Amino acid sequence: MRQADKREALWKFGSYLFLLVITALVLIPIYWMVVAATIPQQEFFSWPPRLIPGTHYLENFQALQENVSFARSILNSLIVSVGYTALSLVLCSMAGFAFAKYEFRFKEPLFYFILATLVLPIQLLIIPLFLLMTQIGWTNSFIAVILPWAANPLGIFLMRQNMKAIPDALLESARMDGATEFQLYYKIALPTMLPSLAALAIILFINQWQAFLYPLVILQEEEMFTIPIALAQLVGQQRVYFDQVMVATSLSIIPLFLVFIFLQQYFIKGILSGSVKQ
Amino acid sequence: MSDQLRYRRQGVSDAVPEVPGLPYLYISPFFVLFGIFLLFPTAYTLYLSFFSYQGASNEALLTIPLLKVTIPQIAQLEFIGLDHYQRLLFEDSLFRQSLFNTSFIFLVQVPLMVILGLATALVLDAKFIRAKGLFRTLIALPVATGLVAYSTIFLLLFNDDIGMINYVLQSLGASAIPWLSDSWWARITLVIAVTWRWLGYNMIILLAGLQTIPEQLYEAAEIDGAKRWEKFRYVTLPQLRPVLLFVVVSSTIGTFQIFAEPFVITGGGPSNATITMVQYIYRQAFIQLNLGYASAVSVVLVALVSVMSIVQIKYGGTE
Repeated sequence: MRQADKREALWKFGSYLFLLVITALVLIPIYWMVVAATIPQQEFFSWPPRLIPGTHYLENFQALQENVSFARSILNSLIVSVGYTALSLVLCSMAGFAFAKYEFRFKEPLFYFILATLVLPIQLLIIPLFLLMTQIGWTNSFIAVILPWAANPLGIFLMRQNMKAIPDALLESARMDGATEFQLYYKIALPTMLPSLAALAIILFINQWQAFLYPLVILQEEEMFTIPIALAQLVGQQRVYFDQVMVATSLSIIPLFLVFIFLQQYFIKGILSGSVKQ
Repeated sequence: MSDQLRYRRQGVSDAVPEVPGLPYLYISPFFVLFGIFLLFPTAYTLYLSFFSYQGASNEALLTIPLLKVTIPQIAQLEFIGLDHYQRLLFEDSLFRQSLFNTSFIFLVQVPLMVILGLATALVLDAKFIRAKGLFRTLIALPVATGLVAYSTIFLLLFNDDIGMINYVLQSLGASAIPWLSDSWWARITLVIAVTWRWLGYNMIILLAGLQTIPEQLYEAAEIDGAKRWEKFRYVTLPQLRPVLLFVVVSSTIGTFQIFAEPFVITGGGPSNATITMVQYIYRQAFIQLNLGYASAVSVVLVALVSVMSIVQIKYGGTE
């Protein structure tokens, strides 16, 4: 074998090794979650720890059912996440379309102003938002969880970047064919932007599904709890039911895994055009 | 697009609205919510930071049953000017501790995550790698695990006494590591957890960036006799610069907002070694009930993150 070929083979081997190590490190905690969800509570603190999944999943799930209304919190999470995603998609795509395809006064400053707010930590807003929600009597409601974050600066950024790719000629010819200005938005921009919309939808959905601190403050009755709060409820008790936490955890991430696995092509495309073509 | 369309476009002015004020109609729903729920609360936080929170009535303002926290109604706000800022900058050692912890996590986290993310993306971009989609999906899966969910997993994995990591270490003949009971190891545990969670996210963005680099650039470099390293140094890096900048800035913002991980995994301990700035804000606001002071800390945090982002954009930008 030539020296160069040998080096090339070594390089390939090293690349695969690196990839396998990274993948293994990523999968260990997920594997361990499965193990933990399928063994009885009493084996939890045994030494050596269990390394192979058990058969106790259904029992743990039943115990979980007795402790928290898990199905209810899944439903709550779905309502909040879907509602938030839909609303935010409409707001961000409309505004993104205007920023990408029209000229108007104060366009640039307005846009950069929105971008600047990306550095604000969400936690900063919790206290004043709570005061506001109390004033309008919206505490413990889903609308109070959905509305404040629907105007998403990252969303508007991605939408504007992606919609710049819509050819002006396409819009012009639609105009000549008699399309109204609003039809340009929902009959041309939206359909051509489906991949980016899907990408943004994934980001928004995952974010809302995982939101913790703010819903914790706003949603106060157990029947309104979303998944992360229901989970924290299990961890926050005197005795921590780790087996149940792991069952709930494994169930709560299934929707996200599915969304992610099926839509990741779009996710990647959306990120691609969003971050690259400045 | 057909030639006919392209032909028609000639001489037509560029995307000027035919209805005046229309763009404002499109952006107004966004701005209404943006103003009410983002700008107003931000301004209110700034306002609160100049006041001290004095006394309380019996009526509850905010109750979080889960954390057994009740914040009483604000009875009186007393204007104290810059006192809060003076206190946190010059007198508050716990604030300094939280600033130190956050800075440590930032300094280790961002380079680690960017370099690992870039390495993974480069390998996955190589032509000879098979099953790219599978690897990419697996590595990106942690992005889809909830903050509370993954924090709980790490809490157990890294447990000093019964955690699997220490068991494996001991089985291999190494000694157990005090992951959660030693200050430095606890900080490192947080870094590991956050890296695990966000590596895939950065990898995807960087991979997307790599795929936009025109193949011809590499071919041209090869003709000039460039080796692997030279191609990386003179083609990949400069072309990837805007995407790298995006990853660095968003990782920086993310690191300064870390909350759920120390909240669940370390509880800020041992002896405040992992308390982050946002956690300190949370403590001041919801446990110690110093709304004004918490607001002042928030303002400092925002100022810090803004300055860093601006510096990164200024020195990392292409224009």
